[in-house]
Amino acid sequence: MEVKKRNPVQKINSTTQIIEALEKYHYVADEEFATALFLLLKLQKPLLLEGPPGVGKTEIALVLSQLLNTKLIRLQCYEGLDINSAVYEWNYQKQLLGIKLQEDTNLSVEEKEHHIFSNEYLLRRPLLQSIMEEEKAPVLLIDELDRSDEEFEAFLLELLSVFQISIPELGTIRAKYKPYVILTSNRTRELSDALKRRCLYHWIGYPSLEKEMLIVKKRVPGIEQHLLQQVVAHVQAFRQQKLAKTPGVSETIDWAESLIALGHREVNAKSFEQTLGSVLKSIEDINQAKVEFFETG
Amino acid sequence: MKQQAFQTKSISESIVAFSQFARSHGFNVGLQETQEGLCCAKEGLLTNRESFKYSLKAIFCKSPEERLVFEKLFLLFWDTNPADLKETKSKISVQGTLNKRKVASLVMLGRGKTEITKEEGKNVSGANETERLKRTDFSKLSQMDTELLEEIAQKMFKQLALRLNRRMKECRRKGQISLRRTIRRSIGYGGEPIDLFRRSQKPKKQRLVVLLDVSGSMDKYSYFLLRFICALRENFRQLEAFVFSTSLIRISKTIRKSRLDYVLNIISEQADNWSSGTRIGECIHKFNEKYGKLLLNGSPIVLVLSDGLDTGDPALLGKEMIKLQRRARKIIWLNPLKGMKGYTPTAGGMKAALPSVDSFHNAHNLESLLELENILADA
Repeated sequence: MEVKKRNPVQKINSTTQIIEALEKYHYVADEEFATALFLLLKLQKPLLLEGPPGVGKTEIALVLSQLLNTKLIRLQCYEGLDINSAVYEWNYQKQLLGIKLQEDTNLSVEEKEHHIFSNEYLLRRPLLQSIMEEEKAPVLLIDELDRSDEEFEAFLLELLSVFQISIPELGTIRAKYKPYVILTSNRTRELSDALKRRCLYHWIGYPSLEKEMLIVKKRVPGIEQHLLQQVVAHVQAFRQQKLAKTPGVSETIDWAESLIALGHREVNAKSFEQTLGSVLKSIEDINQAKVEFFETG
Repeated sequence: MKQQAFQTKSISESIVAFSQFARSHGFNVGLQETQEGLCCAKEGLLTNRESFKYSLKAIFCKSPEERLVFEKLFLLFWDTNPADLKETKSKISVQGTLNKRKVASLVMLGRGKTEITKEEGKNVSGANETERLKRTDFSKLSQMDTELLEEIAQKMFKQLALRLNRRMKECRRKGQISLRRTIRRSIGYGGEPIDLFRRSQKPKKQRLVVLLDVSGSMDKYSYFLLRFICALRENFRQLEAFVFSTSLIRISKTIRKSRLDYVLNIISEQADNWSSGTRIGECIHKFNEKYGKLLLNGSPIVLVLSDGLDTGDPALLGKEMIKLQRRARKIIWLNPLKGMKGYTPTAGGMKAALPSVDSFHNAHNLESLLELENILADA
C-alpha cells in the first residue's frame, strides 16, 4: 500500500505560513523553529526536540495537531516502558471468555486460535494506534524519550524508519498514513546516534525577554502591560540565578495567571510572596528569591 | 574536497560539497542527509538565505554543541569570498579534530618513578604469579608486572561484566504469569490453563555515575581504575563517567567509543598540573551544579574513586557530598589508600566526605576492585 499525500499540508508552502498559522493557536515560533516544522511536514521525517523543561516542546505537538486538524496520539515514556504498554497487548480477560464461549462449538483448534487472536481482542496502545489511522495522518508525540530504556529506543528505530509493526499472531501492519512524529527529550541521557540520524533536530532554549512577553501575552490575553513586564523580567532574572529548578515559560504563564486570578495588578511584596509557589518549586529557591526581592526592593 | 561554495559549479554540487565539508568536521552526515538537503532546495527553502541555513541545520545537527559549530562552518563554506582567500589560504582549518596523541603510557608508568617497587612487590606471599599480582598494590608494580597485570585485569574485568549480566538474567521460575503464552497454550486444553508460563520482571538497569580522581597523587592508580570503569560500562549501559583533578571533565562519550588512549591523553594533560593539587570539593560542586539536574534523576549509584587528599576547603566538600547524597541512591567511595596498613581517613577532605558516603572500600589492587562486583550486584 502506498502512503498517500495529505491535504492540509499541501496548503503550507513556506515557513512564514507556518509562523502565521501557529500564531492563530497562540504559539510563538521563530523562523528557525518554523523551518524545522516545515521540514517535518515536507520530508516526513520525525523531529527531535531538545531543551530545558517548560519551553513548549510538548505544546507544539498539540498545536500542530490542531493546525492540521488531526488527532494527537501521545506516548509518555518512562523507565521500564515496554512493548506491551507502548505498542499493543492482547485482551486476556476477553480471550479467556472467548475460549469458554467456543467450548461447545465444532471449530478446530486452529480456527479457535485464529478467532481469539483477531483484531477484536487486540488492545491498541499509542504506537500501534498511530499507524492504524484510517482517515488522516495523526501527530504522534513521543514525550521524554530520554526516560525510556535503550531497548525501547532500539525498537523505535524500526518503527520510525518503515512505519510498520509486526504482530506475530496477526502479521505486519503498515501505516496507511505516515504519522508526523515529534520526539522530545530533556537530555537526562544522550540518545543513540542511530535514532538521532533518523530525526531532524531542533533545540528550544529559554526565550528572550521580548519573545517571552509575546508568548505570555498570547497565552494570557487579559494581562496588563505593566504586570506582564514585571512578571517576565522577574522570571528572566530567576533564570540567571543558580536555582535548584529553573522556571520555564510554562511557569511564567502559571504565575501570570495566578496573579490575575488573585486580582493583583502588579508584583509587590505581598503578591510576590503569595504567588511565588507557582513559579518556583523548591523551598530553597523560594527563600533565596525572597531574600533577593526584599534586598533589591 | 572543495572547501568553499565558490569552487563549485552548480547549487546541487555546492550542497553536496557542503555536506562533505561538514562530514570532514566531525558531523555525522550521510548520503541520506545530503539527499534531504537537496530536497529542501527543491521545496523552495533555497530562496531565502536564513531558511536555507536553518533547514540544513535541522538536518545536519544532532546536539546543541553541533549547532554552534554549524554556524561557523556554514559561514566559512558559503560566505568565503575568493578575493579574501588569497592571503589567508593557509589558515583555513576550523579547530582540528583531535590533538595529536601524546605518550599515553606516561600516566600508567607513574612518570618514571619506578625504582621503589621491586622488593615490596615480591614480599607479598602468594601461591602463584597471578595471585601475587592480584594482591599487589598498583603503586608498587614494576613495569614488567604492569604489563602482565594489565593482561590479567582485562580478562577478569571481562568475566566480571559477564557475571553481573548473567546474575540478572537468571530467575525464570519466579515472576508474573505471562498470560499471552499461557492462553495460547491453553486453547489445546479447551481453555484450561494447564501449563503456566511465567515472565520474570525485567531487571531494572541501575544507572551509575562514576567520578574518577586523576590528580598527581592518584596517577599510579588511575590507569587501572579507568580500565575498570570501561569494564563496568559493559554492564551498566547508562554509565556516566567523569575525571577530575583541578577541573571536571565528562568522558562518558569517549569511553563509550572505547577510545582509551584519548582519555589517557586528557588525563596526562591534567596530571601535569598536579602541583596545584586536587580540589575535590570544587569539582563535586561543579558536578552538582552542571550535571546534577540531568544525571541524578532517578537516583543512580554514584561511585567516587579518589584518595580524598583535597587541597580545597573540606567544609565545601562536606556540603557538596550531602547534596549529592540526597539525590543519589547510594554513594560508594573507593579509596586506594585504604589498602595501606594503618590507614585511617584523617585527611581533611576524606573526613568531611565520609558522613555522606554509604560504603567505603579500598581499591589499591585488582582483588579489591573485583570485590566491588558483589556490592554493585546487590544494589
